[in-house]
Amino acid sequence: MNNIFINPQLTAMYPEIFLGIVAFAMLLMGKRTHNWKIYTSISIIALLISMVLLIRFDSSYVSYYGGAFLISNFGLYFALIMIVSSLYVAFSAGTTLKDNPEVFFATFLFVNVAMIIAAFSMNLIFIFIAFEGVSVGTYILSAYGKTRRNLEASAKYFFTGIIATGFIVLGSSYYYMATGTFNLISGVPEKGPMLIALILLFVGFGFKLALVPMQQWAVDAYDGTSNPVSAYLSSGTKVLAFFILLRVFLVGFSHFYTDVFYLFVIVSIITMTYGNFAALSENNLKRMLAYSSIAQAGYLILVIAVVSGSSSTFAFTVAIFAAMYYSLVYIFMKGGSFLSVSAVRKDKVEVNDLEGIGIKSPLFAVSLSILMLSLAGIPPTAGFFAKYYLFLSLISGNLWWLAVIGILNSAISVFYYLRVITVMFRKNDSNEFNLSSPVMLPLVLAAILTIGLSFVIFYYPQLSSIVYGLGVMGR
Amino acid sequence: MFIIAIFLLLLLFAILSFAIKESSWKIATLESLLILILTMVYGILRFTGYNGGFVSSYSYAIDTSIGISFTVGVSALSMALLFLSAVIMFIAIFVSGREKFDRSFYGLMLTTELGLYGLLISRNFLFFYVFWEAIIIPVFMLISIYGGAGKEKAALKFFVYTQIGSVFLLLSILTLFSFYGTANHVFTLNMSKLLDSSFIIKYISGPQPFWTDFLLFGFFFSFLVKMPSFPLHSWLPDAYTSAPYPVSIVLAGAISLMGGYGFFAVLLPIAPVIGSGIAWAIIILGIFSLVYFALVAMFQTDMKRMMAYASAASMGFISISLGIGILSTGYIAYLAVSGGIFQILAHGLIMGLVFSSLYIIRNTSGSQSNLTLSGLFREMPIISTFFLAGIMASLGLPGLAGFIAEASIVLASYQVIGYIIFFIIFGMIITASYHVWTVQKSLNGPYNENLGKLKDGTGMEIAVLSFLFIIILILGIYPSLFYHMILVYVKGVF
Repeated sequence: MNNIFINPQLTAMYPEIFLGIVAFAMLLMGKRTHNWKIYTSISIIALLISMVLLIRFDSSYVSYYGGAFLISNFGLYFALIMIVSSLYVAFSAGTTLKDNPEVFFATFLFVNVAMIIAAFSMNLIFIFIAFEGVSVGTYILSAYGKTRRNLEASAKYFFTGIIATGFIVLGSSYYYMATGTFNLISGVPEKGPMLIALILLFVGFGFKLALVPMQQWAVDAYDGTSNPVSAYLSSGTKVLAFFILLRVFLVGFSHFYTDVFYLFVIVSIITMTYGNFAALSENNLKRMLAYSSIAQAGYLILVIAVVSGSSSTFAFTVAIFAAMYYSLVYIFMKGGSFLSVSAVRKDKVEVNDLEGIGIKSPLFAVSLSILMLSLAGIPPTAGFFAKYYLFLSLISGNLWWLAVIGILNSAISVFYYLRVITVMFRKNDSNEFNLSSPVMLPLVLAAILTIGLSFVIFYYPQLSSIVYGLGVMGR
Repeated sequence: MFIIAIFLLLLLFAILSFAIKESSWKIATLESLLILILTMVYGILRFTGYNGGFVSSYSYAIDTSIGISFTVGVSALSMALLFLSAVIMFIAIFVSGREKFDRSFYGLMLTTELGLYGLLISRNFLFFYVFWEAIIIPVFMLISIYGGAGKEKAALKFFVYTQIGSVFLLLSILTLFSFYGTANHVFTLNMSKLLDSSFIIKYISGPQPFWTDFLLFGFFFSFLVKMPSFPLHSWLPDAYTSAPYPVSIVLAGAISLMGGYGFFAVLLPIAPVIGSGIAWAIIILGIFSLVYFALVAMFQTDMKRMMAYASAASMGFISISLGIGILSTGYIAYLAVSGGIFQILAHGLIMGLVFSSLYIIRNTSGSQSNLTLSGLFREMPIISTFFLAGIMASLGLPGLAGFIAEASIVLASYQVIGYIIFFIIFGMIITASYHVWTVQKSLNGPYNENLGKLKDGTGMEIAVLSFLFIIILILGIYPSLFYHMILVYVKGVF
């Protein structure tokens, strides 16, 4: 007898189903209580349980639903780190909410459902739906709050976002035209429509990663939304967008690696250079961090350039490992630095408003300094090891010139990251800071993890063994 | 294991200095003195009857699949520089007692020393790079928090310059690693294995000459920035001037050794790969730095700035010595390279003496300009004498440490580059003239009464400076103390 509850196709969906049920239950609870502490704890517990459910199920390399759903350790890894980023943000999100916390946290859980689905999808329709789930959820999250700036940021994000959606739909249909399927693993496709699909899908998915020239929304949206939401937009959803780019372009376009290579090399160079130079002259702290995350996205997509541009297996393994490791570190260093902006009691925070914090709270200053050094890629922080593996893959893939460009960029970026550090240790008593524990805790946690994650490199053999789960043919 | 114990003890001391609030100066001084004594004991125990190569070799494999291991080994080169950094750190921390610095200052100073020790004992390129980079962070903090006018700009300039240098170092390391892995199907970051000229000739410079240039460019660029050599020096005057004096002592004595260490620990083993064109280029760069910095120093009125340039000028000798070592063979090469290594040691010790006596002068008189200072011998005879001794050592007076190094390099150079050494001599003459001129203006002559009554250095300061001077003197009279083991090491490497 075939019991539906132990049907493997359904067990694979347990974490998503569970989170969905909790989210609906939360909306129902909204009539009884508006206490944000309850909702925060429920969401955290639900996310932890979903992590357990994810780890529990069989994560060997199996595919379901006609190849649309691929269960692999690689997807599992990304699903887990996206949930970790949600957990990280959930800790500090509650304090900033004025009303209806249940709607915020329910939306938050729905976003996580979509993220988990995206992590296992191998089909453009699945990916599209999951991606839209995340997008719609984050439109709501970024509009949260009553000020005009929140709404403005959300509106900008929304209007540019739906244009990107249109590109994805159009790109997917061209993809179907070329291959006759929405599955990412397909036969040899036709060249013409496939190249159109490449450009359209790149615009659609690259939008969320804020690659140049689709970057401007990010700066405004991060600047306008509340700090936990901008931390989430720049950590969790960015990792998701990066993961989808890896899947779609490395698996779906495996017959067109030359085109993928040129596209991503050009975009990556422009993106990191633009991000770094724009950040250099930016005085607004959040906008500076937003530009820096644009630059970081430029480094991240170098991975796609390496994999598509070199045939070396070693370069492939190191590149995908770099992608996995960079994403994990990125969540904490970027999320932590956005959350630290809450320490200044002001609406528009300038870099100079951090003056004097090093004397009031050395712990805060040291923690933020660690995050900044990590973003700049200075050892012994985890950010250095992430860049180390990235550049190692570039060198072993014979792309030395790309490594030089990347490394010069990371040297330029040192300027604006270190400016934050020098400013913090200046003497100034006039600035007022909010150094309560909801602000301090996530920051200190991020700093500790940023140092501690350096030791993950010792697990390189274990982690590098799961890179085949990306699904690239023949690797 | 002895050296790892010293390293771990230093780590503990650095943490302690950050933690203990009371009398942080005293504790830090004692800690750095203990490290100095232990380092000397270690040197005596392990380096009597030294036969070349590495002692205290120890390796702990962390990840074999990608070649990361914690590998330790100490050569005569590292030993000389470990001694130098211990002495300089002790002096710098000791003299800083003249000002009120807080505990994090001493914590950062000891962290710098920790980084130097880690760099000097590492034989794995990953750790080498991590320490190489990590040293910049505490020095950056020291300048940007405790420095004088323009400290933030200077600290940022220092960081960005050295950071750009180091990232190219990283690229070179990755290139070596990647080629070694493809050639031997074993991934390793072990410095002894990667810095093997026969491997580089067979697998890199033979089939792909471009990558050799790429590799050498990265190494040279990063080491020349740290040295600093012309034209990559513009961080130097600002950093030295804006840094508080104890940090200037560290910059001139200990941080400057990093460039030289890179030259002799990384580039010397692969010298057969380096073409004569590159060797000539660095000789010319060295000579140019020597003359140019000496000329610039001559026109400085701020004595701290002047000595900063003087320090950079004498680092020119190190570039020259490596270039000569590559171009020549046998005895001349040994002479040049040993002279270069000895120069790092001598230069560091001498700069320690110069900057610390200048610090005491500046702290009591409130001035470091040779326009206002004059006739200091009347008020501060003892400290003035130490300053004079430092200056004399710096200009290469026979009988003091600096002479031995400069003499061997000039002797060897004459055999290789012939009459071009005229330019070296010219640089040395300029150096001598402005050194003597400075002494004349600031120490001799009528006393500038506007400075008022001045107090000479305390007994402890005199004792510590005498200790430093005695080392310089011993190395000048009996250089074999270090010269012999350096020569044995150099013979082993070539």
